[in-house]
Amino acid sequence: MSKKRGSFAALAVLALLALATPVPADEEAPAVPLTTADLKGVTTPSADDLAKGDPGGSLTGSAADIVMADPKAGLTLADVVNQVGQNRIAINFVWTLVAGFLVMFMQAGFALVETGLCRAKNANHTMMMNFMVYGFGMFAYWVMGFALQQGGSAGITNLGGLNPLNGEFKLSLFGKDWGLFGTKGFFLSGGAYDVGIMVMFLFQMVFMDTATTIVTGTAAERWKFAAFAISTFFLGAITYPLFGNWAWGGGWLSQLGGNFKLGHGYCDFAGSGVVHSVGGLTALAVAMVIGPRIGKFNRDGSPNAIPGHDITMVLLGCFILAFGWFGFNPGSTLGASGAGNLRIGSIAVNTMLAGCTGSFGALLYMWMRFGKPDASMSGNGLLAGLVAITAPSGFVNTVGAAIIGFSAGVLVCLSVEFLERVMKIDDPVGATSVHGTCGLWGVLCVGLFADGTSNYGGSWNGVDGSVTGLFYGDAGQFLAQLIGVCTLVGVIFTLSYVFNVIIDVFVGQRVSTDVELEGLDLPEMGALGYPEFQLVTPGLGRSIEIGG
Amino acid sequence: MKGLALVLIVGGWVMAVGGLVATEAMMVRTGAALAGLAVSLAGIGALNNAHVANAFWKGKAR
Repeated sequence: MSKKRGSFAALAVLALLALATPVPADEEAPAVPLTTADLKGVTTPSADDLAKGDPGGSLTGSAADIVMADPKAGLTLADVVNQVGQNRIAINFVWTLVAGFLVMFMQAGFALVETGLCRAKNANHTMMMNFMVYGFGMFAYWVMGFALQQGGSAGITNLGGLNPLNGEFKLSLFGKDWGLFGTKGFFLSGGAYDVGIMVMFLFQMVFMDTATTIVTGTAAERWKFAAFAISTFFLGAITYPLFGNWAWGGGWLSQLGGNFKLGHGYCDFAGSGVVHSVGGLTALAVAMVIGPRIGKFNRDGSPNAIPGHDITMVLLGCFILAFGWFGFNPGSTLGASGAGNLRIGSIAVNTMLAGCTGSFGALLYMWMRFGKPDASMSGNGLLAGLVAITAPSGFVNTVGAAIIGFSAGVLVCLSVEFLERVMKIDDPVGATSVHGTCGLWGVLCVGLFADGTSNYGGSWNGVDGSVTGLFYGDAGQFLAQLIGVCTLVGVIFTLSYVFNVIIDVFVGQRVSTDVELEGLDLPEMGALGYPEFQLVTPGLGRSIEIGG
Repeated sequence: MKGLALVLIVGGWVMAVGGLVATEAMMVRTGAALAGLAVSLAGIGALNNAHVANAFWKGKAR
């Protein structure tokens, strides 16, 4: 018994010593720097092994694939670390480019939604606006839009620094610098002929094009094609890039954090404000200038429904847009490797959730209010949720995303009714509500729901720490977002309105009454969208029979 | 009327940004921004009313 006790006591003492005495653990061993000599011992698959093929994938990709600066000297440490750095940038390039390709495909979604919600007699015209908005907008953006927006945005390390974009025009007022527009990168020439800047241009260009295509929906079925072309050029060259610079290009809104201690300054992760609100508010301005379609309002101001011609087209378009949004939001990290970019998973899920709850919110509202689950408004609810989550997607958790999406789904229905019944605005596709109203709501949601867990390299807009909204303790962030909303409404809307009035005076925004009644396809485009159909305009007693 | 409405819209933005410059008190700044937004939205309403006042669907010839 005593022997057993003695052994037990000895074990206990040993255990205590083991706990008390610091063990020379691995972490305490001095770190041995890796040298080029260590790399000489790295084995690579032999030529014979590789000649047998590699069905399991265990041989492909080894030290033998690292590019050597001097093959005679063999693999060096410098070769390895350079390869690591280039791999990070390569991953980010590929991620951003593929995301940009997805966003480009959204043009197809917009084209289907807008054309489907219009009447068959305007199908060619509406589709052509959506088609050519890509070309007109891109040309304007290449000439000057990109330079105005991103010309002073050097320092984006995810894409290698973009160092040649180092010119920002600033005004010095009240002791602060107010960045207004960039000055480098016109025609992507000079120093802007740079691999990283090309990636940035492609990604930003498809975003800009999304904003321009919002307007074509609101002004559809009565917009003169020439006026549309000029208006789109202006939006791509001036209006969009200006706000883009203020928010994303290092301009004054992004500096509200550093200059006025308002959180992290205006934060718009993927563009609820920059893309959707700019597009939506421009659409509102054009809608005011151009006026409603003939037959939309009765003399007492009551509205008439003018149904679209193809709801299947509309819902297919919504699905394509939802798919493309996975490029829009997660792609806005501008990278997948390093600097907190692994949050792309969270951003993608937030995007999916908000779209889902948005369609649910709109469906529920319409069902309760009108007794039927409305298909087109369910589609608009999906888009509203996606629009609203675009700005907060990188800063909020899934619960926040679900709430933002659902509220946007209800909000879009209220906004459509308000614009139509109170303001007498005719918006055939509801774009002003989807993108304008819900875009502004999304901007504010950053200031409310950002949970302070994101960490993109330790800072945002030059302010250390994570973006945090009012509900998580930072009232300054909400105010920064509010200033962004005021700027969109006060400056961007006004610019768009004034320019479109000028177009109206010199070119004319609206087609003639005869053209509108006949449909814009033949008079404006020279060909019908559906030449073998008999097109009948209900209530007008007119029909056009072509072909057959 | 339309000119006045545009002045209101831009004036709202000036109010909001002016609040940032004028004071460091968060409540005052927020109040100025909210008031500015309200003024801008009222301006948009006035601008729209100016357009609707002469709308063709009210029966006047286009």
